[in-house]
Amino acid sequence: MISAPRSRVGGGGLSGLLLVALPVLLLLWLVLWPVLQAFVGTLYFPGKGFSAASYVYFFSDAYSLRNLWLTLWVTALTSILRVAAAMPIALYLRFRTGSIAALVQSLALFPLFVPSVLVAYAFIRVLGPNGIVDTLLVAVHLPKLPSPYLQPAGPIIGLVWEGLPLTLLLLLSGLGRVSTASVEAARDLGAGGVTIFTRIILPRIQSSIIVALAFNVLGLFSAFTLPYLLGPASPEMMGPYMQRTFSDNADPLNATTQAVITFAFCAAFGLIYVRAIAKGRKGLR
Amino acid sequence: MAQVQLSGIAKTFGKVTALDAMDLTIDDGELVCLLGPSGSGKSTLLRIIGGFEMPSEGTIAIDGVDVTDLPPERRPTAMVFQSHALWSHMTVFGNIAFGLKLRHLPKAEIRERVEKVLDLVGLTGYGARLPSQLSGGQQQRVALARSLVVEPKILLLDEPFASLDQHLRERLREEVRDIQQRLGITAVFVTHGQDEALAISDRIVVLADGRMQQVGRPGEIYAEPKTAFVAGFIGAMNMLEGTLADGEITASGLKLPAEGSGPAKLAIRPEDIELAEPAEGRTVTVRRMIDFGAHVVIDGKLADGTHLRIQTDKAIRVSQGDQIGIRVESWTVFTEGDEPRRYRSDTVRSFRGARYA
Repeated sequence: MISAPRSRVGGGGLSGLLLVALPVLLLLWLVLWPVLQAFVGTLYFPGKGFSAASYVYFFSDAYSLRNLWLTLWVTALTSILRVAAAMPIALYLRFRTGSIAALVQSLALFPLFVPSVLVAYAFIRVLGPNGIVDTLLVAVHLPKLPSPYLQPAGPIIGLVWEGLPLTLLLLLSGLGRVSTASVEAARDLGAGGVTIFTRIILPRIQSSIIVALAFNVLGLFSAFTLPYLLGPASPEMMGPYMQRTFSDNADPLNATTQAVITFAFCAAFGLIYVRAIAKGRKGLR
Repeated sequence: MAQVQLSGIAKTFGKVTALDAMDLTIDDGELVCLLGPSGSGKSTLLRIIGGFEMPSEGTIAIDGVDVTDLPPERRPTAMVFQSHALWSHMTVFGNIAFGLKLRHLPKAEIRERVEKVLDLVGLTGYGARLPSQLSGGQQQRVALARSLVVEPKILLLDEPFASLDQHLRERLREEVRDIQQRLGITAVFVTHGQDEALAISDRIVVLADGRMQQVGRPGEIYAEPKTAFVAGFIGAMNMLEGTLADGEITASGLKLPAEGSGPAKLAIRPEDIELAEPAEGRTVTVRRMIDFGAHVVIDGKLADGTHLRIQTDKAIRVSQGDQIGIRVESWTVFTEGDEPRRYRSDTVRSFRGARYA
C-alpha cells in the first residue's frame, strides 16, 4: 500500500522532468553554451594561453566606460520612468471599471503591437528637427525647442513608450492581489489616498515592482533598435556599441567581451528577479 | 452609541434599481439585521450607510447629522468585511493600531487600546502574529477588533461569518452579540442566514428585490410574516397554491377554513402540523422520515403529490408509504393585495388582531 503512492510520485517526477527537458536543453544549447563559449573565447587563446587583456582594455578605456555608464543610467532612468508612468494607469485600471477604463487600457497596451522601427519613425516625425512639434511652434511664432533626437533623452522617451504595456501588465497582476475590501477597510479607518498607496498597496505589490524593474533592466540593457536610431553616436549604449565594434571595427574579440560584460550585468538583475519571484511565492503561502 | 435615520434611500446602477425608496430608523444601541437573498440589496444598503456607495436619492443621518455626502473616512462608522480584509503584511497589532495611528494618538495609548480590544475579542497575546498565522475565526475577530478600537458610533458587519463553518459561526455570532451589548454600540449586520438573523437581532429588516418586505422583532417576523416572501424566507414553511371559496381554502387536496375568494397562498409551518387519525382531506403519504435527534421531520406528499413537511415529536416513527392523518394548528392565507389572514386550529379561531409577544 505504501509502494503504490511512492511509484506514482516517482512517475510524476519523471514526467515533470520530461516536460521541462526540452526548454532546459534549448536553454543550454542556445543560451548557456554560447555564453560559455564567449566567456572562454575572451579569456583563453589556443597556443597563447589565458589572457584577460580584452577585459583590462574595456575597463581602462574611457570611451567603453562612458558607454557602459550611459547604458547604466539610461537603463535605470527608463526603468524607473516606466514604473512611474505605468503605476497611476495600473491603479486606475485596477479600481475603476467602465468604458473609459476600457479605453485607457486599450491606449496603454497599444505600444505592445507597434514595432520599434515604427516607434522611432513616429518619434522623429513628431519630436525630431522640423517635426510636428517644431512645425506647430513655428506656426504660432514661437521658437523651436531643442529636439531630444540623437540625445540621451531620445532613446529614453522611445523606450519608455515602447515598454509601458509590459510594465503595466506586470503591475496590474500585482494589484490583482490587493483586494478592494482591504483598500476600503483602510479608507473606513480614515486613511487618505496617499496613505492607502504607501501603507496598504505598495507593500503588497513590492515583488511585482521588483519583477517589473528587473524585466525592464534585462530588456533595456541590451536594447538596440531605439538607442541605435534615436540615441547619440557618442557615447553610445552597449547594444549599438557591440554592433559597431563587431561590424564596423571588425573586432569580434572586443565585441564578445562587451557582450560578456553586458550578460554579467543582466545576469545580476536576473538574480534579483528570481529572488523576487521566490519571495513573492513565499508571501502568497 | 448613535441613531441612524435613512429617509427615502434609493440606489440605481444604470437601469437596474438596487434599492427602492427605503425609510428606516435604527435606534441607539440596537442591533439590526439586514436579511435577504442574494441580490436583495442588503449589502448595497450597508455600503450606503458606510459611505462606500452614494445613494441615488434620499438622505442618511447619524445622530441627526446629515452624512449623505460624506466619504467613509469622515463618517462615525466602521465596517467589518466578509473577507476579513486584513492586511497580510502587518501583524495583528499593526492591523488594529492602523486606525489609531492615523489619528496620531500617543504610542502608549495606542498600545493600551489595542491590548484592551484584543482582550475584548479573546485574542490576548496574539499581537505579534501575522494574519496568515491565524485561523479563519481568529482573523475575523481581528477584523472586529480593528473596527471596534476606533470606537465608532455605528458598527457595520457585512456577512462577517459567511466564510466560516457552522459551529464557529454560531459561537462568533454569540460573541459579537455579547460584545455589542456590553459596549452598547449601534450595529447593522448583513446576513443571508435566517438563523443568524433570528439569533442575534433586536430587529430584522427583510429585503427582497431592493424593497423592504418587513421590519420587526425576530419572533414577530417568524410568527406574523406580512408577505408570502417573508413567510417562505424566514424559517421552514409549507407554501401551497390554493383557492378560497365557500369559507375555506383548498390547496393540494387539503381543506382548511378561511375567509375570502379567489386564488391564494396557504402557508403552514412544519411545527404547526400535528399527527392525527387519517381523514378526508387530512391524509398525507410518508415519503421519508428525517431524524434530527431533538425532533423528527416527516417529508410527506398530499393527494396531488405536493410535498408537505411535518415537524413532530422525536419519539414518532413512520415508514415510507405510511398513510398518516394530520391536524393543522395554525396557518396563514396570503391573497394578492390584501393583508395576510392568520387562523389557529381547525376550529377557525382567527387571531388576526393578536400580536406576538
